[in-house]
Amino acid sequence: MVHHSEDGDRVRGSSRPGGRGLWLPLVAVGAAAVLAAACSSTPTAAKLKPKDTTTTSTTAPAPTTTTTAAASPSTTAAKSSAAPATTTTVKAAAHSTTAATSCSTSGGTLSATCDTQSTSATLTGAGANSIQPFFSRVFYYFNQADHGVNVNYSPAGSSVGVTDIEQDTVAFGDSEIPIKTPASGTGGNILQVPVDLGGVALSYNVPGLSGGLKLNGPVLAGIFLGKITKWDDAQIAALNPGVNLPGSTIYPVHRADSSGPGYDLDQYLIDTAGSTWTGSAAGTTASTKWPITNVGVGQQLNTGVATYIQQTQGSIGYVEYAYSVQAGFTNAALLNTAGDYVTPSQTSIAAAGAEASGLSATNFNIVNGAGAGTYPLANFSWTLLYQKQANAAQGVVLGKLVDWVTTTGQNQAKALGYSPLPANVVALAHSTLLQLENSAGKPLFSS
Amino acid sequence: MTTLLEEVPPPLAPVPGVAEALGRRRRRPGGRLYAALRWGGALVFGAVVVALVATLVSGSSQAFGHFGLSLLWSDHYSPAKDQYPTGVFIVGTLITTAVALVLAVVVGVATAAFLSELAPRVVAAPLSVAVDLIAAVPSIVVGLWGLLVLTPAFSHHVEPFLKTIPVLEWFFHGAALGPSMLLAGVVLAVMIVPTVVALSRSAMTAVAVADREAARALGATRWQVVRTAVIPGARTGIEASLTLAMGRAMGETIAVAMVIGNSYTVPHSLLAPGATLGSAIINNFGEAAPGLDRSSVVALVLVLVLITALVNVGGQLLLRARTRSARR
Repeated sequence: MVHHSEDGDRVRGSSRPGGRGLWLPLVAVGAAAVLAAACSSTPTAAKLKPKDTTTTSTTAPAPTTTTTAAASPSTTAAKSSAAPATTTTVKAAAHSTTAATSCSTSGGTLSATCDTQSTSATLTGAGANSIQPFFSRVFYYFNQADHGVNVNYSPAGSSVGVTDIEQDTVAFGDSEIPIKTPASGTGGNILQVPVDLGGVALSYNVPGLSGGLKLNGPVLAGIFLGKITKWDDAQIAALNPGVNLPGSTIYPVHRADSSGPGYDLDQYLIDTAGSTWTGSAAGTTASTKWPITNVGVGQQLNTGVATYIQQTQGSIGYVEYAYSVQAGFTNAALLNTAGDYVTPSQTSIAAAGAEASGLSATNFNIVNGAGAGTYPLANFSWTLLYQKQANAAQGVVLGKLVDWVTTTGQNQAKALGYSPLPANVVALAHSTLLQLENSAGKPLFSS
Repeated sequence: MTTLLEEVPPPLAPVPGVAEALGRRRRRPGGRLYAALRWGGALVFGAVVVALVATLVSGSSQAFGHFGLSLLWSDHYSPAKDQYPTGVFIVGTLITTAVALVLAVVVGVATAAFLSELAPRVVAAPLSVAVDLIAAVPSIVVGLWGLLVLTPAFSHHVEPFLKTIPVLEWFFHGAALGPSMLLAGVVLAVMIVPTVVALSRSAMTAVAVADREAARALGATRWQVVRTAVIPGARTGIEASLTLAMGRAMGETIAVAMVIGNSYTVPHSLLAPGATLGSAIINNFGEAAPGLDRSSVVALVLVLVLITALVNVGGQLLLRARTRSARR
């Protein structure tokens, strides 16, 4: 009996795998269909990608149209924030070319001794997320102008850029806030070069409030401290006479990670909101980490904040001005030291940059600057590189790259919503780059 | 008694040649290599665990020295003082994991039972492949999907709907913003349900056909067969799948950080934004300055490892106790 029933089991049991075997072809066909669908959709996606025929490894998206430029950097930014592995990029050595190559790079102001130069190189950088749209565009155009140079930039955040250059794992870093001087890392003294002028927009998504919102420090502090919770709050209404404010709830959004824009806004609130802000957990020293994290929502990177503002009615948050331009956000006008309410624009941010006299890595703060047309939330982004370039050939390429970014490349900044560097800052960048030297201490550039 | 012992036969005399044969087999290079691999593998694994814990302990010692043990349950956040609200993160981790596990048990086990017992093979075979494919999707993809697709869907449709359900609405008060503990739990569930389904299904398929036949012979309906024979028979496998899933849910970083709202406060509702240990680590580690700041973040990592271990061991003890009482 027992034997018999076991037999029965075996028969039934064996029928199952047999049956499954029959269905395997069907599964295979299904998988093939899925694959085919994926493949057929690839070309459409590829159309958005840069048309990059000369290079193999550059990640810079080609800004063929404004929509492309807007879409690609946000995807890159989200990806890199997600994969910390990308921050541990290894410094790529310059591939030395045997053939003598020309020293001249169209644009730029530096001239170098030609004997050590090689124009074919892959440079790796990491740092600020806010500068990513500019960098991806400007590196692409540099590659177009000087075909040998590829730049891989990982926009993982300013602090990552600082850490990576200090540990000498990248050829250059980038930070919205300069390192405290004297700046140095495992590779010796670090030079800090201002490369772009940006601003921080306070963008909002409030149906029924299409524009013209004015805010000052105390009211902004109230919003981000959760003390002002309705859009028609008396304090907001007092600044906006004649504006029809809706009675909806305010949903503030801040950066969940450390950020340059967060530092600028923190500095502005410390300067203008008085004890409302400084008496809170925020304290009196500006921090790249957003200090008030128990109010509203925190999102990662400019992309995350921008996505939240787009998705949430009643939201207000701070993003790099270039991101707000690309997203088509409405931005609040902020009160400046001259008593004017100014919206962020290339003109008003350029005005803030022009006020920067005696700019240096120690005197870098241009938040809440003087002047009637000045937008108060502006800052320079700083590229960090070692003064002593152990690989002189790569050092020359790097120097020329940064020089090109601060001169000819500034045209690309304008196209994205950044403001071009004022002449005195370009001069500062130039004189800083002249300090680059090879391992023997001999200057890489003569003038 | 002593007589009994004396009756035990003396050990057999060694059969000539056997020991030599065994010894020879042992001395074969393949056997030696296998033994070395066995021992080497075990030692490397042990060394990795020890090294991991040692790194975390030494990395976080500065933070523990500065803040004391209260660091483990503190709810105070001060970026200027490099202090993190560990207690808030622990609460957030436990809540999101619980939400994900509830969904994983309900959806995952039901799907596994459906696939292994009820579904016609036309449906079961392709669906099983699909489940295995989803299990292999990287968490960043799930996170992006959560941020771009689920967030607006939740804030406009799902969360307002949940607020209308009587009794349950108590869990869902407050504004429906999208990024929330609930959404984080759902995103985690999307990641762990495939694991639960795949492992539970294998366990259910492995239940002896005789058990099902016995239940059917007693007049059980299909559902009763699943309930009384298949699920109890596959319980060990299901529980193992849930343990694995829980570990993944507790430790997940990036996908959670993208949808949870990163608010460092004890959530008063499942719709409120919050933070978990994982999301706090990924948001702060890359940017932590060497010194106390980095040490404080490493302390968060240590807490995450400890909590995961505690919950796992606790869960297994609970299950073992239940199994024992069930056998009695």
